[in-house]
Amino acid sequence: MKGGGLEMGTTTSEVAKSGAAKRGAAVVDFFLRVIAIIATLGSAIAMGTTNQTLPFFTQFIRFRAKYDDLPMFTFFVVANSLVSAYLVLSLALSIFHIMRSRAHASRIVLIFFDTGMLALLTAGASAAAAIVYLAHKGNTRTNWFAICQQFNSFCERISGSLIGSFGAILILVVLILMSAVTLSRR
Amino acid sequence: MESSHSTKDNSETAILIDSKSAKGKSVASPVAITKATTSHHQQGGWKRGVAIFDFILRLCGLIAALAATVTMGTTDQTLPFFTQFFQFQASYDDLPAFTFFVVANAIASGYLVLSLPFSIVCIVRPHAAGARLVLLIFDTMLVAFTTAAAASAAAIVYLAHNGNQNTNWLAICQQFNDFCQRVSGAVVASFIAAVIFIFLVVISAVALRRH
Repeated sequence: MKGGGLEMGTTTSEVAKSGAAKRGAAVVDFFLRVIAIIATLGSAIAMGTTNQTLPFFTQFIRFRAKYDDLPMFTFFVVANSLVSAYLVLSLALSIFHIMRSRAHASRIVLIFFDTGMLALLTAGASAAAAIVYLAHKGNTRTNWFAICQQFNSFCERISGSLIGSFGAILILVVLILMSAVTLSRR
Repeated sequence: MESSHSTKDNSETAILIDSKSAKGKSVASPVAITKATTSHHQQGGWKRGVAIFDFILRLCGLIAALAATVTMGTTDQTLPFFTQFFQFQASYDDLPAFTFFVVANAIASGYLVLSLPFSIVCIVRPHAAGARLVLLIFDTMLVAFTTAAAASAAAIVYLAHNGNQNTNWLAICQQFNDFCQRVSGAVVASFIAAVIFIFLVVISAVALRRH
C-alpha cells in the first residue's frame, strides 16, 4: 500500500487554467475600457459643441441654443469628461491586472471606483435624457413648450450624444461584473 | 508554484505517516503537514459580520426606496382656483419622468424584499460565493437603474424650482408648493437608496474574495 501525503489545494494544471482565464478577462477588461473612453469622450464633445442659431429673431424670444443654456446639459458634459478621465487613469490598473492576475486589493479598489463612476455617469445621462425628452415632447400640464420644433439640429445633436453615454454605462456594468467574477475565483 | 493556501494563521500540525509496502520494505515516509482549520473559521466569522451588515443595509435601502415610491405616488395637489386655460392640478403622472421614478423605485423595493432571503443565506453560510455573486450582479444593475430614476426626477424638480429663461419654461413650484416639497423629498430618498446600493456592491465585492 502506498502511503500518500495529505495534499491541500488544487493541482498545478487547474491553477494554470484559472490564471489564464483571469488574464483573458483582464485583457477584455482593458479593451472594454478603451471603448468606454471613446464613448464618453464622444458624448462630451458632441454635447459640448452644440450651437445652433436660427436665422430670425424677435424682441422677446432668443433664437440661439447652446448646451450651457440648460444646467443639466452642463452637468452631462462635466460628468462624461470626469468619467472619461477616470477611465484613462484606470487603464494603468487594468494593465497591472493583466500582468498580475492574483491581485485582490487593487481589484476591490477598482470595483469601488467603477461603481462610483457608474453612478455619476448614469446621473448625468439620465438627467440629460429627461430634458431631451421634454425638449422633444414638451408638457401641456406645466406649459413647457417643446423646443425641438424650432431647434432641429440642436435636438438631433443632444439626442445623439446620449447614445455614447448609455453605451458607456453598459460597458461599466460589464466591467464591474467581470471584476467581481474574477475576484470570486481562486 | 505553491499548491496550498498561504494563511496568516500559523497553527500547523505535522503528521508523520509511516507506510510499509506489502513486501515489507519500508518506504520513506512522507511528511504531511496539515494546516488547522482555524484560519477558515476566522475568515468565516469576518464574512458573517459583513453579511449581517449587508442585511441591515438592505433593510435601510428598502425603507428609503419604499418611502420614495410612496411619497411620489401619493402626490396630488389641487389649487383652489381655476381659469379657463390653466389646469391647476399637479400629480406625479403629469410628468413621465415622475412616472418612471415611481415605477423604478417600486422595482427597487420589490428587488430588495426578494433579496433578503439571499442575504440571510449569506449570513448562515459565509462561504457561499454563488449567492453573493447573484446579489452583486443584480445590485450593480439596480445602482444604474435607481440612479437613472433619481437623476431624471431631480432634473425635472430642478426645472420646476428654477424654470429656464432660455427655453421659456416657467417654474411651477411658485404655484404648487406642497407638490414641489413632496417631490423633492422623494428624490432625496431615492438618492439615498442609490448610495446604499453602491455600498452593497462594494461590500459584496469585499466579501467575495477568497484568500
